[in-house]
Amino acid sequence: MRVVIAEDATLMREGLVGLLQDRGHQVCAAVADAQALLTAVAQHHPDVAVVDIRMPPTHTDEGLRAALLLRRQHPRTGILVLSQYIETKYATQLLAGQAAGVGYLLKDRVADVADFVEALTRVAAGGTALDPEVVGQLLGGHRHGRGLAELTPREREVLALMAEGRSNTGIAAALTITGGVVEKHVANIFAKLGLPQTEGDNRRVLAVLRYLKSANT
Amino acid sequence: MSDANLMSTVRPAGDVAVVLRAAVGAPFTRRALRELLFCLIGVGFGVGVLVVPYVFFGLGALIGWATVGRDQPAGPVGPGFLVGFTTAPVLLVILATPVGRGLGAVHRRIAAALLGETVPPPAPLRLRGGPLARIRAVLGDGAGWRAVAYSLLKLPMAVPAGYGVFCWLAGLVNLTYPFWWPLFRNHPPQVRLDPVAVVTPFGAFPVATFAGTFAAFAAGAGMVVAAPWIARGASILDRALMRGLLGPGRLAQRVHDLEQTRAQAVDDSAALLRRLERDLHDGAQMRLAALAMNLGRVKEQLGADGDPADLAKARELVDAAHRNAKDALAELRDLARGIHPPVLDNGLADALATLAAGSAIPVRLTTDIAVRPSPAIETIAYFSAAELLTNAAKHSHATTVTVHAGQHHSVLRLCVTDDGVGGADPGRGSGLAGLATRVRTVDGHLYLDSPPGGPTRITVELPMRA
Repeated sequence: MRVVIAEDATLMREGLVGLLQDRGHQVCAAVADAQALLTAVAQHHPDVAVVDIRMPPTHTDEGLRAALLLRRQHPRTGILVLSQYIETKYATQLLAGQAAGVGYLLKDRVADVADFVEALTRVAAGGTALDPEVVGQLLGGHRHGRGLAELTPREREVLALMAEGRSNTGIAAALTITGGVVEKHVANIFAKLGLPQTEGDNRRVLAVLRYLKSANT
Repeated sequence: MSDANLMSTVRPAGDVAVVLRAAVGAPFTRRALRELLFCLIGVGFGVGVLVVPYVFFGLGALIGWATVGRDQPAGPVGPGFLVGFTTAPVLLVILATPVGRGLGAVHRRIAAALLGETVPPPAPLRLRGGPLARIRAVLGDGAGWRAVAYSLLKLPMAVPAGYGVFCWLAGLVNLTYPFWWPLFRNHPPQVRLDPVAVVTPFGAFPVATFAGTFAAFAAGAGMVVAAPWIARGASILDRALMRGLLGPGRLAQRVHDLEQTRAQAVDDSAALLRRLERDLHDGAQMRLAALAMNLGRVKEQLGADGDPADLAKARELVDAAHRNAKDALAELRDLARGIHPPVLDNGLADALATLAAGSAIPVRLTTDIAVRPSPAIETIAYFSAAELLTNAAKHSHATTVTVHAGQHHSVLRLCVTDDGVGGADPGRGSGLAGLATRVRTVDGHLYLDSPPGGPTRITVELPMRA
């Protein structure tokens, strides 16, 4: 996997580089601001870019803006956005239109190296990785939603993992249940929420998110 | 130093000469001439005030005449007169405050141009709603009425002002007597001419001979010398009136000040929270994230069981994680102390002592605080001292700093003096301007005395209770 990293804190940047190199991935460039990120991606065409949201000069959301620009200019490069906070608004901006090759994780998640690298690989392959916090915020916003109320606790867990971008196999591994059980849960969820069955992980994520957002508003 | 030495060696005779020169020169200094001009304008205005009622009644009569019509037979008391008689006072009252405000603005401008007295204008009157509401607003315009009062007071004020102008003009005329006397009074000795009157503030006296003109000259000289002092007295009185009557008013000024300092306090605290968030985000939070990441990597290296693949690598990562943890602790400690130094709970004296001990420049600290100020005041005093010490260490090149904190009745005075290079300028981003702003939010004051070359002495005065 070829990766470009944009992160202004040296400690984090160097840690990320070391972490990925340990696992045999190639870090093409590690930069400290959004402009350098755009240049590096244009130059190296990496599989995925890891982008910190707050970077110089204004330390607000230049990373996110650069990410949105990259999504349009280099649709084949996956973008994993990292931040110390989760803003649902940023998530919706990132996911606008399609959820292919995009991720939004808290920086804390980097600590679980295996999960983090798995999420990064998923995004690089055109999948989705949403932080449980994003899903939690969206799910928490309408606990009394009509369809959601009918879900069993287990189905809610499956829904959250689905919204994070995990495949049925991933969900089965996370919950230590069999794939067949997961499939049954997913079918129940889609039925209860009135969502059409679709192929592919990303469309599942989009379907779930769209449902959550529409129930939210 | 050299100037002071020169001054001290001047003999008393020199002092007399200096005083004399000042007295003779006084009437012709720029300042005296400006004050005389101010008085002259004041006299003109005072006379103008006398005319106002006539103008208004005339205007009223004119309106009455125009509205009722010229064809009406004019009785002894015609309807036109009646209408005018009632319209004029109403007009006078309604127009009083706008006119007063307008004239006030003119007066403020004249005073600013001639006397250098800048009186801030009162808040503008906001007119809203229908005509009746507007009239009510105009009638209740306190600042407007104060301006009217000032204009009316210009009438009695014209007396001292007129005295000054008169002394100067008549004095100058009197000074000329000896010069033109021989030209016009060169008649034969047997011809007797009427004596010429010499006008002085104490009445006129006749002059009939050339010798007498010297008396006129002496009187003129006295008057010309006295004129600027009279004019100065008159303009000082006028300025006092102006500050009281043409300014925003004490309550309005207070409200304005409070609005301003409140806005500053709100901005200040918002900026503080922002800085705090930024410090946390870029500091401790980032270090803890790096720590977690390093520990995660160590876990990977160590594996689930068995010997680690690369022990050296694992050690290196543990080292980094350990360092991150210690750095994060240090940052959090600094941040917490920056929010509220715990030692402040023991009182300002202890907190200042701790601060002084940690200063980059040696600090001599004296405290004399019998009663503890309120916590907010203690906090502001502490952070003022911290900021001033940091400033001294950064900019002054001082070798010692003296800090004194003392309580004088209801005022807490913090005085920081350094023996550095001086020239501290609040405009140059030394944090002094921000400090002055913060001090002002509790009605405190910051006084700066920092001549180029030093020493710098900064006094912060705070009320004991915020």
